[in-house]
Amino acid sequence: MINLAIVFKEGLADFSRNKLRTFLTSLGILIGVFAVVILMALGLGLKKYISDQFESLGNNTIFLVPGRILSGGGFSGSASSFTGTFDNKDVDKLKRIDNVVSTAPLTLKSANAQGTIDEEFIDVMFSSEAIQDLMGFEVDVGRFFDKTDLTKRAKVIVSGPKIAEKLFGGNQEAIGKKIRIEDVRFTIIGVIKSKGGGGFGGFDYDNYMFGPYTTGYIFNPEKKFFRIAVKTKGEQYVSQVKEDIKQEFLKRYDEENFSIVEPTELMSAVNSIFNIFNLVLVAIAAVSLVVGGIGIMNIMYVTVSDRTKEVGIRRALGAQKSDIMYQFLTESVLLSFVGGFLGLALAYVAVFFISRYFPAYIDLVTVAISLSVSSFIGITFGVFPARKAANLEPVEAMRYE
Amino acid sequence: MIKLQNVNKSYRLDNEIIFYALKNINIRIEAGEFCSIMGPSGSGKSTLMHIIGLLDKPSSGKVFLDNQEISNLEDDEISRLRNEFTGFVFQQFNLIPKLTVLENIILPAFYCRKSLSFEPKEKALELLRRFGLEEKKNSYPNKLSGGQQQRVAIARALIMNPRLILADEPTGNIDSRSGREVMKLIDDLNHKEKITVILVTHDLDIAKHAKRTIKIKDGQII
Repeated sequence: MINLAIVFKEGLADFSRNKLRTFLTSLGILIGVFAVVILMALGLGLKKYISDQFESLGNNTIFLVPGRILSGGGFSGSASSFTGTFDNKDVDKLKRIDNVVSTAPLTLKSANAQGTIDEEFIDVMFSSEAIQDLMGFEVDVGRFFDKTDLTKRAKVIVSGPKIAEKLFGGNQEAIGKKIRIEDVRFTIIGVIKSKGGGGFGGFDYDNYMFGPYTTGYIFNPEKKFFRIAVKTKGEQYVSQVKEDIKQEFLKRYDEENFSIVEPTELMSAVNSIFNIFNLVLVAIAAVSLVVGGIGIMNIMYVTVSDRTKEVGIRRALGAQKSDIMYQFLTESVLLSFVGGFLGLALAYVAVFFISRYFPAYIDLVTVAISLSVSSFIGITFGVFPARKAANLEPVEAMRYE
Repeated sequence: MIKLQNVNKSYRLDNEIIFYALKNINIRIEAGEFCSIMGPSGSGKSTLMHIIGLLDKPSSGKVFLDNQEISNLEDDEISRLRNEFTGFVFQQFNLIPKLTVLENIILPAFYCRKSLSFEPKEKALELLRRFGLEEKKNSYPNKLSGGQQQRVAIARALIMNPRLILADEPTGNIDSRSGREVMKLIDDLNHKEKITVILVTHDLDIAKHAKRTIKIKDGQII
């Protein structure tokens, strides 16, 4: 069998003699692989971003949401309903369910608030002290509100770091300051550490303020909650607790009027949507790879006719059809692989810069896919020219000048 | 060793024979012979050489190598015979320009499927020494004179220890002094190494090197 090293050497010698031609041919594959890799990197980044957001909620937390939020793996229209449905009775019921560690009812109040340096339209989330543990908030300065604040219906508030910065110019500066929400004056008792995030339907907790839900009744005379967070003892209890909650709540509500949501479940739904979205984009980018492949096929036909005499000589020296085929296929794969490799390298550089603003990254699967796809294109589009070369008649080929 | 029986080669256009390159050729060449095929250009001598060299197939008639009829053979088998049985020396040298002298000589060994009784590189270097071209081993063919290129081509023809050397106008593209050197080499191959040599030429002086001359004109032996 003909030595691979010499086939490579000849291929490379041919490339260096036709540098521009080689570069232009590889460019098609380069652009295609670049586009595919960038889109895959962005898709992966998006997925990571979303899962990071959900991960902070922990995998043993369940949310009760009014209406049907998930149906058949996707979101339904009433998903973002913020109207309160649940009340204290529900919270008490939840507390009695086995393996429930803590519950946190949630209501939202949006209002204008006046700080020392600026005025902002803010969102305040009223909940129980359990919310700190549930959401994994860490206190940066001061303290979080506690059970005593709930029973006393204390007019205290904990601020996210971004809103503290905007209204007061810093976390330290915000402590002990009064803030007026409609006609009620609250005292800021603590600022939490940044959780990052925001966007894509997730809460940007850094821009929220948090107060005791009992105090929140001032703005919520019906004492209704739009969400209840439930923490179970551990991940293994989640499904049982969900089932128990469902049985309990069906006594009071229609099936359509409440949903029990696990963040992980929600995450997989979100992920499945982005996966499809990404797949479509990658498929579009893959079209450019096919165009690049056609470019390779074209140039390989030119190469074959340029080297007809050489093929004749090789056949005279005893090369079999398969030897000739193998030689030209190696060259087309090399051509396309080099394009793919350069495209990947370029994508690495691009992703390096993108990753400063967005968590895009290239994983091993992407590398493997892009390199094997570009080799595959080299084979697929190289096979016809290579077969043409292999089937040349030795005498005819040798006469060719 | 080589036998051609009623060999015809014709070219057709729209199923109608328009030209006979070879007409009813019968030749027998024994092992160890030094034979020349002579004729003016267009006489069909190149076609005859291509058929003997298994580069082309006759339109009718039979070709035997060592009593084996070759028209029944698969393409791969015919390639194998070209590789192992025959060594070609062409008028145009036909070296591959992007390979070095050494790589050109070794090339036939790359196409060989069976294990070789010799180390191709050693053998190639030995041939280069013998032909006084050792210092040119890493040069490319375009840096060599015509005579040197033809000697490289002969080395390439010899690498597989062929039983037949087919030389088509081997001195046609080189000066007369180099031509004499090349002919001396070919003579030695026949005399000292007992390799069968078939020499195709239109030059009477060159044909005189052979013990037997087959004259061909208008596709027929005369």
